[in-house]
Amino acid sequence: MSASSEILDRFVNGEYEHGFVTDIESDTLPPGLNDSVVRTISARKQEPEWMLDWRLRAYHHWLGMSQPDWAHLRQPQIDFDSISYYSAPKRKKDGPKSLDEVDPQILDTYEKLGIPLEEQKALAGVAVDAVFDSVSVATTFRRQLTEAGVIFCSMSEAIREYPDLIQQYLGSVVPHTDNFFASLNSAVFSDGTFVYIPAGVRCPMELSTYFRINEARTGQFERTLIVAAPGSQVSYLEGCTAPMRDENQLHAAVVELIAMEDASIKYSTVQNWYPGDARGRGGIYNFVTKRGDCRGDRSHISWTQVETGSAITWKYPSCILRGNDSVGEFHSVAVTRGQQQADTGTKMIHMGRNTRSTIVSKGISAGEAQNTYRGLVRMTPGAENARNHTRCDSLLIGDRCGAHTFPYMESRNPTARIEHEATTSRIGEDQLFYCRQRGLSEEDAVSLLVNGFCKEVFNELPMEFAVEAQKLLNVTLEGAVG
Amino acid sequence: MNTPEIAMQRYHDSLTGIQPSLTGAELPWLAGKRRSALEDLTRLGLPQRRQESWRYTSIDKLLGYELMPVTEAMASLQESDIRHLWLPDLQTHRILFVNGRFVPQLSDLSGLPAGITVGSLRDLIRCNPIMPARWLGHASGASRHAFGAMNSAAIHDGLVIDLPRNQRLERPVEVLQISMGRDDAILYQPRNLVVLEAGSEATLIERHVCLGNSHYFHNGMSEILVQEGARLEHLRIQEESPAASFLHGIFARQAADSRYEYSGFSLGGAWARTELNLDLQGEGAHARLDGLYTTGSNQLTDYHLNIRHTVPGCRSDTRFKGLLHGRGRAVFDGSIVVEKEAQKTEAHLNNANLLLSRRAEVDTKPQLEIHADDVRCSHGATVGQLEPIQLFYLRSRGIDALDAQRMLCMGFAGEILEQCRIRPVSDIVGRAIENELNALAPEVAGASSD
Repeated sequence: MSASSEILDRFVNGEYEHGFVTDIESDTLPPGLNDSVVRTISARKQEPEWMLDWRLRAYHHWLGMSQPDWAHLRQPQIDFDSISYYSAPKRKKDGPKSLDEVDPQILDTYEKLGIPLEEQKALAGVAVDAVFDSVSVATTFRRQLTEAGVIFCSMSEAIREYPDLIQQYLGSVVPHTDNFFASLNSAVFSDGTFVYIPAGVRCPMELSTYFRINEARTGQFERTLIVAAPGSQVSYLEGCTAPMRDENQLHAAVVELIAMEDASIKYSTVQNWYPGDARGRGGIYNFVTKRGDCRGDRSHISWTQVETGSAITWKYPSCILRGNDSVGEFHSVAVTRGQQQADTGTKMIHMGRNTRSTIVSKGISAGEAQNTYRGLVRMTPGAENARNHTRCDSLLIGDRCGAHTFPYMESRNPTARIEHEATTSRIGEDQLFYCRQRGLSEEDAVSLLVNGFCKEVFNELPMEFAVEAQKLLNVTLEGAVG
Repeated sequence: MNTPEIAMQRYHDSLTGIQPSLTGAELPWLAGKRRSALEDLTRLGLPQRRQESWRYTSIDKLLGYELMPVTEAMASLQESDIRHLWLPDLQTHRILFVNGRFVPQLSDLSGLPAGITVGSLRDLIRCNPIMPARWLGHASGASRHAFGAMNSAAIHDGLVIDLPRNQRLERPVEVLQISMGRDDAILYQPRNLVVLEAGSEATLIERHVCLGNSHYFHNGMSEILVQEGARLEHLRIQEESPAASFLHGIFARQAADSRYEYSGFSLGGAWARTELNLDLQGEGAHARLDGLYTTGSNQLTDYHLNIRHTVPGCRSDTRFKGLLHGRGRAVFDGSIVVEKEAQKTEAHLNNANLLLSRRAEVDTKPQLEIHADDVRCSHGATVGQLEPIQLFYLRSRGIDALDAQRMLCMGFAGEILEQCRIRPVSDIVGRAIENELNALAPEVAGASSD
């Protein structure tokens, strides 16, 4: 009671009414979180009443939660009042209508990151919905997608334009009460992506969003929702980079996937956020909730991720296999080095008959990094003839790193079958010797062996991503050997 | 139903009450140990589901009973009551415990070579407490949960083995632990201490059986030290009453070049949890841990393994298999930890579960926690039912469903049973499992081939 009256008190006092810091490039809310921040975010995004109510419900629920501490992570306590919860690039009155209207400086940043929009446009059918901090500034290939009936837009736009769809699906896979970071996200999410593929449509191109974190101290709270109507198909690519930064930045995104009957969603991620310096200062905290719901029979959700960045990665892209004959997949490469920590894995919840899931996880740990696979396979009583196969391999480079495997298997149906295998080892000296003997430098040899180790997962990535991921892996492991 | 707080307080009060009647109550070192264990009990509180190692194991059933700690010896048993319980066709040193208390008149330690101690912890504390004073609590360390603390707070009697340097015990030591229920539910807490000094060698066979079907709570603990180059083969058959609660913590420590071979067979008990904590602390130590469990209606079988490699060059091979039928529940939690210094470690763990009925449930959780790089570690787990095609093969040759199921299950169990070098032990276990399978309803086997 006292907590809510305090909130009311703060709201009445309206300490945030004048609270916009407008520096050179962006509108940023001052650090801190309370009712009026949530209201301000909602108001800035011109959201309808129901959206604000949802955010406030999530916020009030979040107030009663405490930060989880069960993961295999060392981390300082996050001070949620030192984070700014909204940051929007300064925009012209009506917003950019085309690339020409986008701030050339922003475009320049993209160029530096190697994702020039111009080029992307020309690139084999990839539409980019670039998120610079929190507000979409450019969207390409909209018309082509519109012709196919595909909705691909920012979340704020979707809330305004497609309120029925959002009300029906948002939070239906990851409810606002789900976990500490998901609740926080639900309260303050700034923007994100909404994709809707109508029944029977095969999305004409691979969809892609590049996320960036630019403002210091700005938590990124992205919200992604992908709905694949019966018989539809979509492949979605998510890639991330972030510039050097000294302070820890919190990233607590939520991704919800919904696949109806016979629909298929493939979600690929390459994550390469700033991991902090050699002594572990700075770096992104990547606490993400990703979950897919195979709602219809014969639906298919596949997660592929390459995680090389972030100081701390904490995410478990999961599948709820509700429909009969539905399929869930999880392919992951997680590379940690220096002081990085990754606690990642998946959950496969088998509910329907003949559901199948495959988990392939490759963890590479170098330097003083800690890499943990944590997964759950649950066969509920309805999971008749369900199958799961899990393979987790860990590779250790250096004697100060750690690799951990914590799988949970729960079976409530005798016809379901679970198989789990895990190994941990380092790069074989005989393998290295073989390569060295044939004239490869030690670094090249390691890179070759590591790429071979990850190949199974890279094969799952769309072509451009696979190349990028391989390069990323080599860059990441540079100097890790020796 | 009692709340954990009330139950804990009652355990605490009753254990405090019996302190003066415990063996060696006048010895300051022992009284001190018990006192600090009582403090641990209060500090730790009873385990709750939100604790990771109790996530799948509820103690609610246990809390339903008003348990009376017993320390005195039980009323007379006749030789004829227990004759059939000793292993047939095997020359052993026989030692009998009833409800945790040594029964000398029905034990047979006459053939024991001089200089070797095999007997009762209570007797040793009373006449020559140097060895227990040195080793009690050494392998177990600080209490990890309330039940461990309860055991340490009431150390009273149990098996003690002390094998001097380079002594090889030809005949196995056969320990019969009999539980005899009373009208009221009892709690008894045997404490075993086994020390194999450098270069010594022994085989230890423990069998837990019950006379009658009443409820009791066996809360036992075994501390095992295998010193440099020593060798221990350790076999355990747990056939507690179908109403019993059973918790036993084994704490084994291995020094350099030692061998520890464990074969555990867990068949009985309504609520049975075995915790096996193995520390490989000397270079070149090897351990082999094999286990087989069966669980049926109204049974929960729980195995918790904590295997810790702290020094280089050790090896552990762990294999546990479970057969589940009726509404049986099994929990398996097997963790391997390889510490920073433990390079050249080889550690493997495997858990396989066979579900024979619709209502059986299993939760398995193998874990690898590795901090050294030059290691070869793996774990695996499987859960499934019998292959319909194998059943079909046997059925097509005129073997009925139940027989076919039994044959396949015995093949599954056989891999563990074959590892057991003491024939009479694997025979007893094999027969018990076969009887268990024969008692299953035939529809069970048919159900899987639909």
